[in-house]
Amino acid sequence: MYLALKEIRHEKLRYGLIISMIVLIAYLIFILTGLAFGLAGENSQAVDSWHAKSIVLNKDSNVSLTQSVITTDQAKDAKLSSKEAVIGSTPVVAKHKGKEKVSASFIGAKKSQFIINDLKISAGRKARGNHEVVVDQKFKDDGYKLGDKVTLNSFNDQYQIVGFTKNAKLNVAPVIYGTIPSWKHLRAMEGVPVVGSAIVSKNAKYHAKDGHLKTYSISYFISKLPGYSAENTTFGFMIGFLMIISLIIIAVFLYILTMQALPIYAVLRAQGIPARTLVSTITSQSLILMVAGLVIGAVLTAATASVIPIGVPMSFNLPVLTWISIGLLIMGFIGSAIPAQKIATVDPVKVIGG
Amino acid sequence: MSVIELNNINKYFGSGVSKVHVLHDINFSADRGELILVVGPSGSGKSTFLTIAGGLQTPTSGEVSVEGKSMAKLSTAQRDKLRLNQIGFVLQSYSLVPYLKVKEQFDFVNKVKRQGNLNQAELKELLVQLGIENLTNKFPGELSGGQTQRVAIARALFANPDIVLADEPTAALDSARVAEVGKLFKELAKTRDKAVVVVTHDVRLMEFADKTYQIMDGKMTQATNKQPAK
Repeated sequence: MYLALKEIRHEKLRYGLIISMIVLIAYLIFILTGLAFGLAGENSQAVDSWHAKSIVLNKDSNVSLTQSVITTDQAKDAKLSSKEAVIGSTPVVAKHKGKEKVSASFIGAKKSQFIINDLKISAGRKARGNHEVVVDQKFKDDGYKLGDKVTLNSFNDQYQIVGFTKNAKLNVAPVIYGTIPSWKHLRAMEGVPVVGSAIVSKNAKYHAKDGHLKTYSISYFISKLPGYSAENTTFGFMIGFLMIISLIIIAVFLYILTMQALPIYAVLRAQGIPARTLVSTITSQSLILMVAGLVIGAVLTAATASVIPIGVPMSFNLPVLTWISIGLLIMGFIGSAIPAQKIATVDPVKVIGG
Repeated sequence: MSVIELNNINKYFGSGVSKVHVLHDINFSADRGELILVVGPSGSGKSTFLTIAGGLQTPTSGEVSVEGKSMAKLSTAQRDKLRLNQIGFVLQSYSLVPYLKVKEQFDFVNKVKRQGNLNQAELKELLVQLGIENLTNKFPGELSGGQTQRVAIARALFANPDIVLADEPTAALDSARVAEVGKLFKELAKTRDKAVVVVTHDVRLMEFADKTYQIMDGKMTQATNKQPAK
């Protein structure tokens, strides 16, 4: 550690450049991870807020909430306890004169069941009638306020915003919570014997007891949300590649620096300095560089997060970022393995001669 | 008992038709308080002799012993320890860590070898003796060739070894500096009771040596043209 710190302090420019490269990589990884989590969150925020374990959909719906319809007949044997809730879902476009149109997901639910019961209201109150809705905070950000009356799709009916709720997005669209009759109206299914789009349950092993219905785990359901898996896989690959790039950078730089300093290490070995002391110097250097890069990268990320516009979906998950940082440290450690091996096997005789 | 002895040392490099007999039946010993010069032209086997004496490589046959203890029986780690504790190396170049100030060169030795080094008073005395007491805050790159060599000698002596092995310590120095280093080695051998073995092709050092050996084509002989020691 002594030699490692002394060399870094002496060769400020050289090591500063390496650290700056690690800073950029760490910053990029942190921002990408924030975006990945932000986007993933906007896909599943609403579902996550329900704390459900399973969801029952029509088996022919291709695990799509908006394509699924559960008829009264199919639901007749389904026992609904306090852990189950029926929902109806449909995409809508909300409009209010003088304001931007908002593409949203309408979720109709019964106010006696847990989805509405457990709904956390950040402003206003819960809906009481068929023409009242609670909407995601995004509407507030877009200039909507309590008491505004919106129309949905091409219908003339007006729905009054009576409450706002946070973190209610489904497939990136803000959610409008209303009633099942409103959902039926929006789907033009009034008078049709349907109960909703799905039954969500807090019980992982819930079964609706009908051959036309199928139970899926919530995690599987989320993974089948349009674009969700592709998005996450893309981000995963980008983060993975960046980690490999960081390994290569640290390995290449340390290798070059080590090769330049090999005669010094050879003389130190000749003077009886144990190989483990010199190997620990290179591994310490690698870890110091990585830690410095990660800390500066984290500070830059925090600074970016504080000024980034609200509309950019970014979410920082501390445990995940900690694991990524540990992963980068391990990459740095692996990156120092080749130069460390060079030092461990350096032959002083080749430098001294003979 | 001699502090270091080399008995019937032979060293071969290569094999088959390219086999080279580098050292032939070398017998050598050095006592405390002696400055011994091993002179010879390039390729004569001087450096091979030095690296074998310092335990950096093993002879093909023969035995090297330090304070009566055979090196052949030592593991690599034990040889590292022997070099750290009992042998000080002064090399032609790279002797100093370039990013450590002069005083930090000694701090580093203290961190690796925690006992048996010179204490602060002894180190100061040594630095004064070498005339480098005002250079402690300088990096090796800020020193002249002569200053660098004197710091390297101080670095080697700081660990308080029994033997100092020096490889071409005057290669980059002018005649005045050569005489200075020669006197210094002789004085250090006497006052600090070390066996100082200098391997060189610089015959200007011969006048300071207690004994001079010559290596020619791997064969060592006592030099006949040794000038009387001053």
